[in-house]
Amino acid sequence: MSLWVIGRRILFLLMVIWAAATITFFIPRLSSRNPIRERFATLARTGGFSPGDLETIVASYNQKFGLDKPLWQQYVDYMSSLARFDLGVSLNLFPKTVVELIVEALPWSIGLLIVTTILSFIIGNILGALAAWPQAPNWLRTISTSFVLLQGVPPVLLGVLLIFFIAFRANLLPISGSYSIGSVPEWSFAFAIDVLRHQILPALALIFGTVGGWVLSMRGMGITIQGEDYVLFAEHKGLSSRTIFRDYYLRNALLPQVTGFALALGNVVTSAIIVEQIFGLPGLGNVLAQAIRVNDFLVIYGIVLFITIAIATLMVLVELLYPLLDPRIRLDQ
Amino acid sequence: MKKFKILSAFVILLLLLSACGTDTPPAEDPQQGEVAPEAEEETAEEMAEEPAEEAEEEVIESIGSAEDLADIAREDTLVMGWSHATPIGTTNPWAVPGYTHQDAGAFMWEGLSYFRIFADEEAPWLAESMEYNDDFTELTITLRPEAKWSDGTPVTSRDVVFTLEGQLNRDTLAYHAAFVQFVDSIEAVDDLTTVVTFNQPAPRFKFEVLTLKFDTGINIVPAHVLEEQEDIAGFAGGIEMPHSGPYSVVAWDNTQKILDLREDWWAVEAGLIDTPDVKRIVMVNLGGQVGANMEAVAQRIVNNEMDTALDFRQDIIQSIIEQNPAVTSHTGDQPPFGYLDWWPNSLWMNTLVPPYDDARVRRAVSLAVDRDTIDEIVYSGAQVTTIYPFPLYPGLENFVAREDVQASIETHDPRRFNLEESAALMEEAGYTMNGSGLWEKDGETVNATIHGFPGIHGDIVPVLEQMLLNAGFDATINFGDDSFQQMADGAPGLYMFGHGASLVDPYAALELFHGRFSESIGTTAGNNRFSRYSNPDYDAILDEMAPLDANDPRFQELAAQAIDIYWSEQIDVPVIQWLHRIAYNQTYWTNWPTADNLGPGVNGAFWAHTGMLVVTGLEKAE
Amino acid sequence: MANISLPQPQAQAPVFSQPGRLTLLFRYLRRNMSLTIGLLIMLFLIVFTIVGMLTIESENAYALAVSSKQPPSAEFPLGTDFFGRDMLAVMVYGTWQTALIGIIAGGAGTLVGVLLGFISAYFGGIIDAAIKGISQILMPIPVFLIQIVIAGSLDKRDVTIYTMAFIVLILAWMGPTLVMRSQVLSMKERPYVAVAKLSGVGDIGIIFTEILPNLLPFIVAQFVTQVFAAVFASFYLAIVGLGPLREPLLGNIIWAAMGQGAFFNGWWWWPVFPAVGLALILGSLALINMGLDELSNPRVRRSE
Repeated sequence: MSLWVIGRRILFLLMVIWAAATITFFIPRLSSRNPIRERFATLARTGGFSPGDLETIVASYNQKFGLDKPLWQQYVDYMSSLARFDLGVSLNLFPKTVVELIVEALPWSIGLLIVTTILSFIIGNILGALAAWPQAPNWLRTISTSFVLLQGVPPVLLGVLLIFFIAFRANLLPISGSYSIGSVPEWSFAFAIDVLRHQILPALALIFGTVGGWVLSMRGMGITIQGEDYVLFAEHKGLSSRTIFRDYYLRNALLPQVTGFALALGNVVTSAIIVEQIFGLPGLGNVLAQAIRVNDFLVIYGIVLFITIAIATLMVLVELLYPLLDPRIRLDQ
Repeated sequence: MKKFKILSAFVILLLLLSACGTDTPPAEDPQQGEVAPEAEEETAEEMAEEPAEEAEEEVIESIGSAEDLADIAREDTLVMGWSHATPIGTTNPWAVPGYTHQDAGAFMWEGLSYFRIFADEEAPWLAESMEYNDDFTELTITLRPEAKWSDGTPVTSRDVVFTLEGQLNRDTLAYHAAFVQFVDSIEAVDDLTTVVTFNQPAPRFKFEVLTLKFDTGINIVPAHVLEEQEDIAGFAGGIEMPHSGPYSVVAWDNTQKILDLREDWWAVEAGLIDTPDVKRIVMVNLGGQVGANMEAVAQRIVNNEMDTALDFRQDIIQSIIEQNPAVTSHTGDQPPFGYLDWWPNSLWMNTLVPPYDDARVRRAVSLAVDRDTIDEIVYSGAQVTTIYPFPLYPGLENFVAREDVQASIETHDPRRFNLEESAALMEEAGYTMNGSGLWEKDGETVNATIHGFPGIHGDIVPVLEQMLLNAGFDATINFGDDSFQQMADGAPGLYMFGHGASLVDPYAALELFHGRFSESIGTTAGNNRFSRYSNPDYDAILDEMAPLDANDPRFQELAAQAIDIYWSEQIDVPVIQWLHRIAYNQTYWTNWPTADNLGPGVNGAFWAHTGMLVVTGLEKAE
Repeated sequence: MANISLPQPQAQAPVFSQPGRLTLLFRYLRRNMSLTIGLLIMLFLIVFTIVGMLTIESENAYALAVSSKQPPSAEFPLGTDFFGRDMLAVMVYGTWQTALIGIIAGGAGTLVGVLLGFISAYFGGIIDAAIKGISQILMPIPVFLIQIVIAGSLDKRDVTIYTMAFIVLILAWMGPTLVMRSQVLSMKERPYVAVAKLSGVGDIGIIFTEILPNLLPFIVAQFVTQVFAAVFASFYLAIVGLGPLREPLLGNIIWAAMGQGAFFNGWWWWPVFPAVGLALILGSLALINMGLDELSNPRVRRSE
């Protein structure tokens, strides 16, 4: 593949990011809710807070953040600051900036989401491939099948069940939170273990909930490939079934799965929003949920853009890698 | 196969890249624990120009590091569960928006006086006394000479004047409207004495505004700190801000706020209180919406991980107490497990827009609510439903016991549940029953969308919805995050919300329905004045009550007339009293305020202003 | 089942020239366990729903119908919930409603996705660029966010299970489109497509005789995925307080149970039965999907 091809993809990537940014810019504006007023509403609801003239305060903050300008001008302003990699401030948690909110939350989410998504991808695909493999033992098929059934139970409920039985009743793992009450983050072995212990249950809830999907699609893929001539040919050639499984079967079936992986990262955000809340983890899902709740659009933009860029980059990369996986596809056609 | 390996490596590399540069846990850098001083000096104009850059310098991701933290044992630590709202680093009570006393702010800031609701007495605090003149037009505030800020500076009348004048002049502060309505001038007579002059008799000002109770009243702020700020509302405060209360923040991040006892707290030196047993407070951030996901919190209390948390539903607290005998509640192991809050909930309606501008429709809604069934189903038989817009604390109990009030109750029978009568009223108002069993007029059904909050109304509102549907009202639920906005905007439908107003006399609750709050649909109606009720006769009664002391017989008589209008006009539909069912774990801490143990005499909510008295009154378990 | 298209038509002849079709079908079902179990579960759910709807009043699936918080007993085989719903009635009507949302939103989403995916991959060029571009742009935007904005701006009285299905559908087609596109892309490079092209078969002919049959497992898999997505989307909307909260959708019931601390209070039957219901609905679809993979692949079928 030539540089020109790569350049074209990068250009496309930028277009995707621009378009996604534009769409996300306008969607929260369809709602009439103002994040600044929402901030006061929260205070008023919980604390008997009643400032003299709420509308005046809201108006002055609207002016401060440029929300009183026409929408197109806000759009231009937003796009130009975006080009300078400035995502702005949280309107609801002012004076926090969006970047700070993301940076603060990201480690927790990366730890949990990326690890669980990768684990579930690996486990699911291996189980799925094995389940489609004629020589696979029966018990393996049973496991795969039960994961498929488990998929129907919402991860939230799995989370609650895990908490109830493993953490609360059996007292084996912490109930919630990202580290023990009263301890303060530090670079130490004990603290790392503490954090890890708190991540196990949410990770299990996410993995149990998603493995089934991979099993299902990988198995379907595997079955189709078994009918292909090259597998037949390899068998007749006398290659060992292990070699066939690994080199002919897994590799070919993996192509669409990898596309699916990039897409799954997008879907996992929704589960994460919910699971992070159930387990009280201060991750990206929690920040996004809070922002959606109060329509804090700059934070919504920031996080959605961040996710968009990550997924779009992944998808373009996967596309560039297609020819490596399947030489019959040429990029420059 | 080789290509497959390359691919996997690529994918993993990319994941790492996307994590890179951002994958630094925020709390490790000790330098971040300081508020950048230059940020404090910036002017409002500069902030408006460059909000992002300005904020970047000022914002704090976390405060405190493991090395700085003193070792304090679990048995000296109080662990509380709460959903935090304050941005990290905001401790200045005048910061806008952001500060709330509920996020442990009450442990840093004190008031002139507290009110011990269950002891029914005042607890003078920073002020030794607050005395009215005979006609309630002048209030003399005398400070305690021992009162000191945490930096050693004494609390003087200069601070009081600064605080009160701030409320008078700054429209961003909570009591600005009350000050503008009543206060003429504020003057310091000497270091300890301040005189407030009112423009009309203000018999309730001292209690409503200057006394801390529940979530109302004002904190005294340090003049010598805030005067130096150019933009006081934009000043976060940080953990170094001098304060008068017993605890200082030592660590603060997204998951928790840790406060340690200040050994030099003036109130101990003044002999006002013994040195508190609680050396450290950890306020765990439960996150999310208030009241959501309480099952995990309940489990942590049963496990003795937490000592207390925000309140629970009746069934959950009952299960907690059954599972851990060390846990108790306001009423011990007996229902209703909670104490009466000042927030009785009604179904409010915007009385300016159809169909709820018709008193007959409002009454028909009330007749459709079966309060006995609610008590039985939602509260396992405890008597929680109500017909009043205020809680029956001692003073208010005396008021409703009056003959004229009892006569009103007899006449209007606000508790009545009667579907035929409800139907008759709807027909009288011009509605007909349509094919789906719903009332309809001009092709429109009655919009009975109930706006509420799932965390706190998840049990009661579905029951109300079904009751209204059974009576022909087109009821559904909005538990969306916009429900408060809908209420404030006066959107069509019913609002499940409380009346946080009266504590000792009915004036504050009745005033919520005063005509001066009725204008402007589409803008915020102000804090819980959602009915926008307007009736000149009613306003006249309230205006006559305003300057009168609550013990004045005329005041009582007028209040009885006003509450009669409340019921006859059915301004809103009172449904339930609000109970705070707080779990008190006695494994590490005892002397929680309960029905049997007065303790400091305040309600047990640690998040209220009086939470400071709850915490400092706790005793270490043997 | 028998009219599921097979990739190599010549393989059909020997198989079906034997005994009766029905006998053969039963023999086959005995070998293909996942298909059989999936179909049996689905049959059970259909019978349960039909019999239930004929014998149980729908009012019992709503609040205040029966006495509340009763554990399973002779009178209430599945118990009753906090709000006085009969859980048996909830299961009957809730299963139906949940399946309905899934089938409407999932089915329509898959159909649109398959069509667009085909068009995009097969014709390529500008059409491909446009369809792929739009899908890729929309794909990473959290669907949930858009659903919240739409659901939140509706009059709550208009929020029914049908509007809910529609809200889910609006953004349910990009996934199938992209997956189908990449499948067709890979498939059209296969030798048999090239052979068909050389022998003068038209585009439409190639799609229907060569590509579509081979893609059937993927289409079914996409459908199943979309049904999952639709059911969960309606569940997540319930969690943020949107959606038809009063309806006994299984997700609504589970969420209400969790909100009342059902496990902690010992009311296990409240969330557990709806969860089993969800697992059965979605699981049976997944099992049928697994079974169809085998059915549509002659080689695997022969090898068993």
